[in-house]
Amino acid sequence: MTTRSWQVRAGLLPVVLTGALALAACSGGGSSSSTQSGAAGKTLVIDTSFDLKTADPGRTYEPTGLIVDKATYDTLLTFEGSDVTKPVPSLAESYELSPDGKELTLKLRQGATFADGSPVTADDVVFSLTRVRDMKGTPSFLLDGVEVAKTDDTTITLTSKTPNPALPYILPNPALGILNSKVAKENGATNDPNDKAEQYLNSASAGSGPYTIESFNVSSQVVLKANAKYWGAKKPYYDKVVIRNVESATQKLNVQRGDSQVALNLSGDQVSGVSGGLQVKRTASAYVFFLLANQDPGVSKVTSNPKFVEALRKGIDYQGLLELAGEGSTQASGIIPSMFLGALPADQAAARDVEGAKAALAASGVADPKVTLEYPSELTVNGLSFQPLAERIQANLKEVGITVELAPAPVTTALDNYRNGKEELGLWYWGPDFPDPSNYLSFAPGKLVGLRSGWKAGADKDVQAAADKAGAAVTDDDRKQAFTDFQQKLNATGPFMPLIQPGQNIVTAASVTGVEYHPVWTINVADLGAK
Amino acid sequence: MRSPLARFLVRRIVTALLLAVGITLVTFVLTNLVPGDPVAANLGQRALGDPAIVAQWRADHGLDRPLPQQYLAHLGGLLHGDLGTSQQSHRPVLDDLAQSVPATLELAGAAIVVSLVLGVGFGVVAALRRDRFADHVLRVLSLVGISVPTFWLALMAFYVFFFRLQITPGSGRIDPGMTPPPQVTGLYTVDALLSGRWDVFSSAVGHLAAPALVLALYTIGLLTRFTRSAVLEVLGQDYVRAARAKGLPGRVVLFRYVLRPALVPVITVAGLAFGSLLSGTVLVEAVFAWPGVGQYAYKSATTLDLPAVMGVGLVVGVVYLVINLVVDVLYGVVDPRVRVS
Repeated sequence: MTTRSWQVRAGLLPVVLTGALALAACSGGGSSSSTQSGAAGKTLVIDTSFDLKTADPGRTYEPTGLIVDKATYDTLLTFEGSDVTKPVPSLAESYELSPDGKELTLKLRQGATFADGSPVTADDVVFSLTRVRDMKGTPSFLLDGVEVAKTDDTTITLTSKTPNPALPYILPNPALGILNSKVAKENGATNDPNDKAEQYLNSASAGSGPYTIESFNVSSQVVLKANAKYWGAKKPYYDKVVIRNVESATQKLNVQRGDSQVALNLSGDQVSGVSGGLQVKRTASAYVFFLLANQDPGVSKVTSNPKFVEALRKGIDYQGLLELAGEGSTQASGIIPSMFLGALPADQAAARDVEGAKAALAASGVADPKVTLEYPSELTVNGLSFQPLAERIQANLKEVGITVELAPAPVTTALDNYRNGKEELGLWYWGPDFPDPSNYLSFAPGKLVGLRSGWKAGADKDVQAAADKAGAAVTDDDRKQAFTDFQQKLNATGPFMPLIQPGQNIVTAASVTGVEYHPVWTINVADLGAK
Repeated sequence: MRSPLARFLVRRIVTALLLAVGITLVTFVLTNLVPGDPVAANLGQRALGDPAIVAQWRADHGLDRPLPQQYLAHLGGLLHGDLGTSQQSHRPVLDDLAQSVPATLELAGAAIVVSLVLGVGFGVVAALRRDRFADHVLRVLSLVGISVPTFWLALMAFYVFFFRLQITPGSGRIDPGMTPPPQVTGLYTVDALLSGRWDVFSSAVGHLAAPALVLALYTIGLLTRFTRSAVLEVLGQDYVRAARAKGLPGRVVLFRYVLRPALVPVITVAGLAFGSLLSGTVLVEAVFAWPGVGQYAYKSATTLDLPAVMGVGLVVGVVYLVINLVVDVLYGVVDPRVRVS
């Protein structure tokens, strides 16, 4: 063989290998449409950016975990579609709250069965709820101070020491899904912190929901299969549902190409370019971005000045922030999201008043104020980053005469200062633990978020009284009035400035039906069908 | 122990073990220096307000003990093959790694094979065809490979080949809805072959091709350049000229007289480049939704999941140590002078 002929052969090798790899790539591609029917059954692929730790309902508190548990466990009560203003029966066929709001009586539905065919009993309910409460997992606070008792085989009573009208709104949380207690106990479940059932519940569900867990991986995908013995009237449409962990940019391409049928995390900018016969569901999410001004003079003599807070409130260009937030977003009128009972109407939202802000600043007596604004640097909420919002606020306040120094930090670092009430100005968001306005009493003086802004108990007697009244109200009408009043007072003199509710955009293939955004479980897989 | 190679190997392995312990210490100290509280990263805002839940969580994860005790407990666990429990997934870190490491090994392994064959092949061709058309083309290509950022290339590859041309499959390791093969090695291609699942094998190879090529492009560019210059240097040596003058066939000259000495610097570069593949996987895995150790590491770091970060640190450290060990041994194999010294 001559040198030249060897050179030719050596040169061919890489070319041949490249060709082989290209062929390999093509061999697996091309036919990626995943809504299949026929022998393999109907499969639905949902892409989402995973926030998932566990499928054990007693420990679940992350968005992806709530999607999984909503599909695999039934709760005593639930919500219809996206309407969170009225709990409806599920495993309980009816419920009644005592006039003093301390006792909730639930009548258990007969005929409901777990995926293994065994009936759902009052004992299962008592075990499941006390397990969540006493295991001290993340969602245990949902049932803090609530006694769970079985009155008879079909009646459950939940008793609280203080009025707890929020309980019917808390019970639909998938973390309070009812377990098959016999199966769970056999696999290590106990109703104390020594519970060992999580590993089992991550491999197989023990609920009565329309789907069961086929496989579960916290970092890549969760596969659900239809519960053949589902007791409900509406049977699951898909035989298999694959929930995959995919970044938002890739989600968009996947759903456009047909590799997936649902994309949950596209930002307002991303959905504006979506085409090709896809459906886009644009809704304001239940997350509320807000600005806080610390009221503790030890932290800041500037932000604890009421007139300075007024200058801040009037100096922010809320409409400008809304434009930044993109499609589907809405201005937050109050700290309670627009879809909840007691939310303030849109016409009561704050508006910019530059002259008013300058006047308030002059009245504050603070000359050339310089304040530091802290916020999480890498966190995004529904594709919306904190950075551009902070920059816009900085520019807005500059026009008023307030110099804002931006201090972004990784969320784990920023949270420390926020939690400890050390931030002078803070830009944060609040996601609801349950869709009830009482969740927002945390913003009252001396409460969780109030303290994070240095607002101690007794610091504002008016707001405090309004909060107490709202917490004690029992009927829907009374509660609506009381929470409206609480928010109006909070907006007038409190240290919080509600800014926006970013949009929640759900993109689906044209064939998918039944998509509704839910503030707690994002999407109910069991509601999804096909045209 | 008389064999110099055996002595050399034992010395290297002992050093590697000491370095591994050093890696655990450095990872532990650095992770704890980060100003942030894992509790804040792991519990919801509501749960954070409940001291009982916070205390329970700290006790569950051993964070209520002094730092030196935490480190010693970690080392003690390591000796028993226990890397602790991930605060994020609530599973043993070893189980998490057993799932994510094979995914990355499959991806990086494919990238390494492609890089070696194409990088060395292109380098040899470019050297042999010096200053001709093929040389110019390959030099430009290698420059592109080195210069283009991996994350951009991954996004572009996904957009062009998956979305526009529709010739590669989408996210993940196999088609959605397809059941993975029973785990033996954790490498889907190998496990699919072992279980005779040809549909899964085809799907796994298809899904592997695009991310592996993207990941390999930088290394291919690097190896092409180094191989070219190394081969050119050797080609100019007197003994190569003498071999040609003797009338030896081109194949013999290339393999016996040129490639072997030229490979010494190439091995050094290859060792470093393969280490860098690991950092590239973080970005490639994110774009292609590849459930590997890169994604696991990113998630663990951003949530201050100390046991998981320590586990990943150890795995990456061990991979580097093994690569260095292999490189050192290969020196000895390729160049007898190294063995003698």
